Amino acid sequence: MSTTSQKHRDFVGEPMGDKSVTALSGIGEILGKKLEEQGFDKAYVVLGQFLLLKKDTEMFTEWLRDASGANSRQAGSCAQCLREWCDAFL
Amino acid sequence: MAEFLEDPSVLTKDKLKNELAANNVPLPSGEHKKEVYVQLYLKNLTVLNNKKSPPADTFSSDEELPAPVVSNKSRSGRKATKKTDKPRTEEVEVTDLTDEDLKQQLAKHGVDSGPIVATTRKLYEKKLQKLLDQPPAEPEAPTDVTALPKADSNQNGNTNSDQYSDKEDEEIAAPEPEPVPVVEKPVRSRGKAPVTSRTSSRRQTKVVEEIIVEETPKKASESVVEDILANEISTPTGISATCRRPIRGAAGRPVKPSEYWLDESHVQHTVLTETRSYSESFSRPGSSISSSKAPARRGVLSLLLKLLLLIVVGGSLYYAYQNLDADQINTLKGLVDSVVVPLQGAVENAATYLGISSSSNGATESAGN
Repeated sequence: MSTTSQKHRDFVGEPMGDKSVTALSGIGEILGKKLEEQGFDKAYVVLGQFLLLKKDTEMFTEWLRDASGANSRQAGSCAQCLREWCDAFL
Repeated sequence: MAEFLEDPSVLTKDKLKNELAANNVPLPSGEHKKEVYVQLYLKNLTVLNNKKSPPADTFSSDEELPAPVVSNKSRSGRKATKKTDKPRTEEVEVTDLTDEDLKQQLAKHGVDSGPIVATTRKLYEKKLQKLLDQPPAEPEAPTDVTALPKADSNQNGNTNSDQYSDKEDEEIAAPEPEPVPVVEKPVRSRGKAPVTSRTSSRRQTKVVEEIIVEETPKKASESVVEDILANEISTPTGISATCRRPIRGAAGRPVKPSEYWLDESHVQHTVLTETRSYSESFSRPGSSISSSKAPARRGVLSLLLKLLLLIVVGGSLYYAYQNLDADQINTLKGLVDSVVVPLQGAVENAATYLGISSSSNGATESAGN
């Protein structure tokens, strides 16, 4: 997690607005589709879940892995970008 | 959906083990192949499943469906539907819990859970499950530890504050009245009825006030020192936040303006102490001046010594000069003698011969000189 992807920087750099769930770092098309199937169609819905878990990165990664089948790197990346977004905009 | 799987081989070995353990099926000791556990599962649990099948029939769909059902349950009646909720939950207990119970259980284990809603409940169930059975010995000891300190810290905080306030009251009331017996009785009678920090502070200030009015500051400081000692003995740690206040207030130590209490008496007192400290600070500079004068005096003394030495030297020089004169005279006289004596002898001889010794003597002396 030392280096951040371009996607991560893009997401953390501005309010998420109405971005799709696939705008989240670590969430690609396939994972995005799985999340959308479960109702997590927007990034802010995932943020909501993240906040419900009290910004607990560990719990969130666990949830994301369960919910979307993401691997731990993808889930960790998503959690990190959400946390940093929260630090910046919440 | 059935509670136990018809085909346990889809489960991992660990999950099989967990389920078996959770349902009180004795596990074979040591490690075995998955097949062994699968057989055990089929024998012990799937059989149970058939017995329970009538109530479970209504949920005989595959796993996809229960998810929405869960979300409904979280909002509506939970207990009724909970038992057949999830096929894979190891323990019926955890899934049986209501949201509040689940939260309480988590809190017991030191987990600060967020809101337990449809999307988070599963996670928290898992977490609690992990805490409950994964390492039964380890986490429960620490969780007890984490749970206990909370209660203890509260108790400690309460008891400590009570202790300190109590002790302060009594100790301020007890040792101080000795010098002032008049003060003693009202304070004590007041002190035992209500034991709160508020009253204690009031009493303290009163006591301090009376000390200021009736006692000399020395006595106050002595009694306060007694207080400090008593406090230190009575408190096991020897550390208490409150017992420092009277120290600053009464013991004549310099009090910073930021540490003022709001009470007038205390302000007066601190003013007293401040003036005292000022006087001390003034006296200290005086002493320091005197001490700084000492070297100055030494300088003066050395000056005087020097003068004396000069005088002595001068005097000695003068004396020596005078002596030298005499010496010179002597030496001159000696010289004169050495030179003149033959002449003088001759002249004296001649004078004695002529009979005019005195005049000739003077003449020779004048000539010699």
